[in-house]
Amino acid sequence: MACMNEDGQWIVLMGLLVAVGLFFLALIINQSALVGQTTAEGVLEFPKNDIRDLRKAVFDYTDKFGMVPDTDETKKNVQEDIIAISLERKNAVVSFSVGQRVSISGQQAYPVEIHYNNGVTEYDETVYHYRAYE
Amino acid sequence: MVNDSGQLYTMEGIAAGLVMLLTAYLILSTTSIYTPGDTHIPDMQLEQLGSDVLAMMDTPDREGEESQLVGFVKNGTGTCGGDELRDEFLDNCKMRSDDPDENLRAQVYLSYRRSDGSVNTTPLSSVDPEFTGRENAVRVTHWVHLPPGSHSIPNIDTSRPHAVLVEVLLWRV
Repeated sequence: MACMNEDGQWIVLMGLLVAVGLFFLALIINQSALVGQTTAEGVLEFPKNDIRDLRKAVFDYTDKFGMVPDTDETKKNVQEDIIAISLERKNAVVSFSVGQRVSISGQQAYPVEIHYNNGVTEYDETVYHYRAYE
Repeated sequence: MVNDSGQLYTMEGIAAGLVMLLTAYLILSTTSIYTPGDTHIPDMQLEQLGSDVLAMMDTPDREGEESQLVGFVKNGTGTCGGDELRDEFLDNCKMRSDDPDENLRAQVYLSYRRSDGSVNTTPLSSVDPEFTGRENAVRVTHWVHLPPGSHSIPNIDTSRPHAVLVEVLLWRV
């Protein structure tokens, strides 16, 4: 090593560049595993079928009891069915209400509010439900 | 005769070798990224299939008519009706697969509110004799609006309509 000279500095510089490039590649690989995992977990935890199911139950309820006043015992009981069973069997706090029928572009629709929370996912929706058949 | 000339070339050679090895490793490892979630994809497919079948069975043939699922639930508890519901459900699951899929098993439960207001879950179909409780099962559910009138569900107020939850445990042996 006694008689070192300064030849080959370009080679050393390029070596440094390659090293930096490799570092970034490694970083990207590292992150990609994390991204894949969180995405998959997000998909798994999202209760898509539960929410679709609940919407269907609420729309059925709207079809049957939309015109019935809120004080009606049967209407209250069916609403309580959905709330109680959701809590007991699906660990979800559910709340929904159906408003007075309104006319939208000549169509009669019920404003429906749905709230769903299972501790991980919170879902709120306000939707105008058209009765399937009059 | 040993001297120390050419040491830098040796070091460079080693460095280049390491870089090539690292590159090869990186290229090979990018082709597949393992995620723990991947192992659950078959479960998700099974859940979607069961969910779709229940939705299909709850669709009435004609507007305003009673759906097949409501009919089964009304006659359901105890022994006979629930088993028919399970068999029909399994038949529908296998409809498009061109495969008898003998390994597919199901168990149907019903959750409802009793006349005293508490929630009860009762098995609709008879218990699978091979069921151990350790199967990798998925649970699919469907809300059903049960009209008033006579049905054989224990301890239920038959004078009012009910919203009940049909739950199906689905697994492969």
